Amino acid sequence: MTLSALNADVIVDQLNAGEVTATDCVQHFLDRIQIHNAELNAFIRVSESALEQAEAIDQRRKSGESLGSLAGLPIAIKDGICVSGQPTTAGSKMLENFSPPYDATIVERLKSADAIIIGKTNMDEFAMGSSTENSFFGPTNNPWATNRVPGGSSGGSAACVAARLAPVAIGSDTGGSIRQPASFCGITGLKPTYGRVSRYGLIAFASSLDQIGPMTRTAKESALLMSVIAGFDPRDSTSSKEQVSDFLTGLETPLAGLRIGVCRDHLNEGLDVEVKTKINDAISVFKQLGANIEEIELPQTKSAIAAYYIIAPCEASSNLARYDGVRYTFRAQANDLEEMYRNTRGQGFGDEVKQRIMLGTYALSSGYYEAYYLKASKVRRMIKQDYDEAFKKVDLILGPTTPTPAFKLGQHTQDPLAMYLADIYTVSANLAGIPAISVPVEPSSTGLPIGLQLQGRAFEENTLLRAAHQFQNETLWHTASPSEPWRTQS
Amino acid sequence: MEDTVLNPTSSPQSSNRRAVRFDDAQIIIGLEVHVQLDTDSKLFCGCSTRFGEAANSQTCVVCTGMPGALPVINQRALELSIRAGLSLNCQIARSTKWDRKNYFYPDLPKGYQISQFDQPICGPGHLDIETSDATGQARRIRIERAHLEEDAGKSIHDESSRRQDSKIDLNRTGTPLLEIVTQPDIRTAAEAKAFLSELKLILNYIDVSDCNMQQGNLRCDANVNLHIPLGDEQIATPIVEIKNLNSFRAVERSITHEAQRQFEAWQEHGLTIADAPKQTRGWNDHTQTTTLQREKEDSADYRYFPDPDLIAVKIEESQIQEIESQLEQLPADLRKLLAEQYNLKSADASVIVSQGRGVVDYFLKVADGCEDSKIANNWIGQEVLRQLNESNQTIEQYPVSPQQFTDLLKLVIAGTLDQTRGKEVLNAMVADCISPEEAVQQLGIKPVDNNELVSLCEKLIDENQDVVEQIQSGNGKAIGMLIGKARKINPNANPGLVKAMLSKMISA
Amino acid sequence: MSETPEQPTVNQVARLARIHLDDQQLTSSGEKLEQILEFVSQLEQVELPKDVEPFFGAIESVNAIREDNLQTSVPREKILDNAPESDGEFYLVPPVFRNTDS
Repeated sequence: MTLSALNADVIVDQLNAGEVTATDCVQHFLDRIQIHNAELNAFIRVSESALEQAEAIDQRRKSGESLGSLAGLPIAIKDGICVSGQPTTAGSKMLENFSPPYDATIVERLKSADAIIIGKTNMDEFAMGSSTENSFFGPTNNPWATNRVPGGSSGGSAACVAARLAPVAIGSDTGGSIRQPASFCGITGLKPTYGRVSRYGLIAFASSLDQIGPMTRTAKESALLMSVIAGFDPRDSTSSKEQVSDFLTGLETPLAGLRIGVCRDHLNEGLDVEVKTKINDAISVFKQLGANIEEIELPQTKSAIAAYYIIAPCEASSNLARYDGVRYTFRAQANDLEEMYRNTRGQGFGDEVKQRIMLGTYALSSGYYEAYYLKASKVRRMIKQDYDEAFKKVDLILGPTTPTPAFKLGQHTQDPLAMYLADIYTVSANLAGIPAISVPVEPSSTGLPIGLQLQGRAFEENTLLRAAHQFQNETLWHTASPSEPWRTQS
Repeated sequence: MEDTVLNPTSSPQSSNRRAVRFDDAQIIIGLEVHVQLDTDSKLFCGCSTRFGEAANSQTCVVCTGMPGALPVINQRALELSIRAGLSLNCQIARSTKWDRKNYFYPDLPKGYQISQFDQPICGPGHLDIETSDATGQARRIRIERAHLEEDAGKSIHDESSRRQDSKIDLNRTGTPLLEIVTQPDIRTAAEAKAFLSELKLILNYIDVSDCNMQQGNLRCDANVNLHIPLGDEQIATPIVEIKNLNSFRAVERSITHEAQRQFEAWQEHGLTIADAPKQTRGWNDHTQTTTLQREKEDSADYRYFPDPDLIAVKIEESQIQEIESQLEQLPADLRKLLAEQYNLKSADASVIVSQGRGVVDYFLKVADGCEDSKIANNWIGQEVLRQLNESNQTIEQYPVSPQQFTDLLKLVIAGTLDQTRGKEVLNAMVADCISPEEAVQQLGIKPVDNNELVSLCEKLIDENQDVVEQIQSGNGKAIGMLIGKARKINPNANPGLVKAMLSKMISA
Repeated sequence: MSETPEQPTVNQVARLARIHLDDQQLTSSGEKLEQILEFVSQLEQVELPKDVEPFFGAIESVNAIREDNLQTSVPREKILDNAPESDGEFYLVPPVFRNTDS
C-alpha cells in the first residue's frame, strides 16, 4: 500500500518499526503536494525544512534516541497558526510577509512529539468565511469536485487531507471552520471543548469562539493528535485545567446504552433532502451499534446564527485593530498617520474581513452595545442552557454538519447571508463551548461528501471520538477517496 | 468651540454676569490619577517594567500585540491594587473582570487597551487630607473607584519638523497602572495638591508605587469647573479635563489658571455645562496656560466590551484579610501616634511622617532610646533632614545608626555635650562614620572640672573689666561676650555652667 | 450607553474602524451591513428571562494568574523584524498630524 493510503497511526507504527523512514515519508507527501497543489491550492506554503527535519528524526532514531509519539509523521497546519520563523499569513495580504518569532503552543507540542510540519494550509482570510474563497492566496478547490468549494475557513487543511497531500492536518473552528470543511471534503474534523486546546499562537478571529482541532481521515487519528495538542497552557488564560485523558483508550468501548439525542427541528427546514436521508441512515447505524436514540429540543439554537454574527464580528473588530501598519509587515502609502491607518486597512484586508470589522465596529459603537453584543451574549446563555438541559437526557446530540453538500465556487460570494447559513448547525457548539465532531456518511448520489455532526458535553471528547470511531468501523464511508485526476462536478 | 457665542455680550444677563466676583465662584475639582504599580514584570507578560532601558528592548510577543499572543494577569499587580484600595478605604471587588477599550494610536499595539470598565478592582472609598484653612479640619475626599489597566508605549514626535516620522518605543507598553478616580469633592488647587501629596505618601508607605513623577509613575488629569451663584440660581460652567499634569506644581497652577479662565469665559459668553460638552485641554508649562486639545470626533467612542482573552478574577475574603493584615500603619496613623504618644506638634509630626516610613522608624527608635521625643524631633527634624537633603541620601544610607544617634542625644541630655558641641560630634560621626564616643575623643572633648572653671572665670573677669561693668550696670546680655570668650579659651567649657559661675562671681 | 443614538452612517463606521472605502465600496458595504443587521434583528424577538446573565466566554472558570516573575524579552531585532518601517531602535510611523502649514 502506498503511504498516502495509510492512516496516520499506521504510518507512525511503520516509522517506529523502521519499515519506512521519515525522509521517505515526507518525500512522498512532498511529491504529492508538488503534483497536486497547483490544482487544489490547499497549501499556501510548503515547509522548506521538512526534509531536513525528517532526516534528523531518522538520524536520532538510528542512534537509538527515544522519540516523540508522532515521530516522523508529516502534518499540515492551517496558516492562521504561528510557526516560528515561517511566514504565517492567516490568508491575508495584511500578513503576507509576517514571520512570527514564536511557536503556537500546539506547534510546540507537535514539534516536541517529533511530528514534521510539512506546510501551511490555505484558509479564508483571518478565518472569516465558509468556503476558503476569501483567501488573499486564491481559493482552494474541493478534491471531490474541483469546481466546488472545500468549505472553510480551514478549507486548505480539509482539502489536503482529503486529497492525501498530508496524512493529517490542524485547523481552527470559530463557527464551524473545522467541521464544515471536513463535511464538504469527506474527512473527520473535531472542534474540541473551548479551553481544551491552547489558543496561544492562533491568530485570533473571535477569541471566545476560536478553538484549534484535528482534521484527519479517521476519528482514531483525531484521537492521536488530540493526545498531543490538548491540555492546559499557562500562557492562555482561557485554557482549561480539566484533566486530559488519553484520547486513544476507550475508543472500542461498545456504544450499547449510549443515549444519542436528535433534534427534529434540525432535520427539517432548509435541509437538503439527500443530506436528510443519509443522516437518517446514520441514525440507524447508531441504533444497530446499540445506542438509544431520543428526541431532544434545542429551541434557542434557531437564534444561534444571528447571535454568532453579532458576537464574532464584534470580537473580530477589536482583534483585528492591531493590523494598523505600524508593526506587522504591510503598510500602505500615506502622508500622515490617519491616512496610513485607513489606507493600510482599506488595502490590506479583503472585502469579507472589512465587512465584518464594519459590522462589529457598528455593533459595539456608542449606544448599540446593549442592543447587540449584550443581547447576543444573553441569547448565547440561553443556547448554552438548552444544551445543559439536553445533556441531562442524552450523552450526544446527532445531526447534519451542514444543510447541503459542497456548493460551487462563486455560488454564494455575493450573498453573505446564504454563506452564513452554511454554519447553521455548527455555530451553536462554539457559542456553548462544547465539543463537536464531523464524520463522513454516505456521499450524495452525485458523489459529494456529506457530514454527520455529533456534539457532546464539555470535556467529553472521548465520547465523541468513541462514537465516531465505531461508526467508522461500521460504515467505512471515511475510507473513500476522491479519484485522481480530480474531477469537476456540476 | 470656544468661540461659540450663545448670548450676545451686551445682553442683560451679561451685565448680571459682570457683577459676579471670581471669589464668589466655587471651584469643583475631581482628579484621575494614574499610578504605576511597583511590579517586576508587566501586567500581562514577563517583560521587565524597568525605566530608562534601550528603546524596544523590553518587549515580547504579548506586549507588542503580536498576532496569536495572549495575556495572563500578574498576581502581584492584583495584590498591590488591593493593598492600595484598602489604604484608600475602598471596597474591594469580590469579582473583577477585564474589558477592552478600543482606540487607534501607534503606541497602543493591539489597537485596544486592556482595562476595567464596569467591575473595577476597587470600589468606593475615601481619603482624608489635612488642610491649612482656618478650621484645621481634615477634608474627606471620596474615591469613586480604582481600576487596573495596562499602560501604552511612548511616541516620540520630532518637534522641529512636522513632516518627520514619529518614533515608537513599546518598553512601557503593558506596565501595570492603577487609575484612581475621585469624586468631584476637591474645592481648591491647594486641596488638589494636598490630596496628591497624601496619596503619593500612602502609596510610598505601602510599597505600591514609588510615584516618581519625573519617570511618569504618577500622572494626573484634573476635571475642573465652577459653580457660580447668579441671583437665586447656581450656574455650572462646562467641565474641562486638564491633561499632562506631571508635577504637583503643574496641578496647582493649572487648576488656578483654568478656574480663572473659565470664569472669564463665562462672563464673556455665559456658556454653562448644559451648552457645551466636556472639553479636553492640555497644560503648557512654558506658557502656564491650558490650551484646547485637538480631538477626533470619534475619540470618545471606545467600544468597551469584555476581553474574551481573559477570565474573571475572584478575590476571596481571606485574601483581602491577609493583605490587610500585612498593611503597616498609614501616614495618618503615624501622625496621630507622633502627636499623641510622642507629644509632637502636629506640624512637626507631619514633617517627620512626610519623609517616609524610614525616617519615622528612625525617629521612633531614637525617641524611645533617649526617652526624650522633643529632643529627638529637634535633632532629627532639623539636623538629620538637613544632612540628608545636602548629601542627597535616604535615611537608609545615613551613616549614623539609630543606636548611635540615641547615644549622642543621651550625652546632650546629660549635659555632657552642649548643643554646639553635640552638633560638632554629629558632624564628625557623619564625616568619618564613627560612634559618638569616638567622635568625642577625636574632637578632644573632655569634662572641665570645677577648679578649672573657677580659674577660667576669674581670668575672664580680670581681663574684661569693661564688660563686667556693663553687666553690673544692667546689661545682662553682655555676659554672652564673656561666654564666647570662654569657649575660645576652652571649647569644652559648658556655656551654661560658665554663665552660672560668672553671674555668681560678678554679682557677688 | 445612551438610549436613542442616531443612526451612524457607513462612512462614520468606516472612519471609526480606520478603513478607507471608496464611494462604490461604501455603497455596497452599506447595503450588506443593512442586510445583515436586518437578519440579526431577529434577536429583538427573543424573549429572555429577566435575570439571565450574559455568557461572554465559553469558559467560566476563574483566576488564570501568573506570578510576578521576569522572563527574557524577545531580542529587539526579532521584534522589529516584522515592522514595515523601523530604524533598528524604534518603529517609525508617519507624523500624527497632516502637514498643513506648508
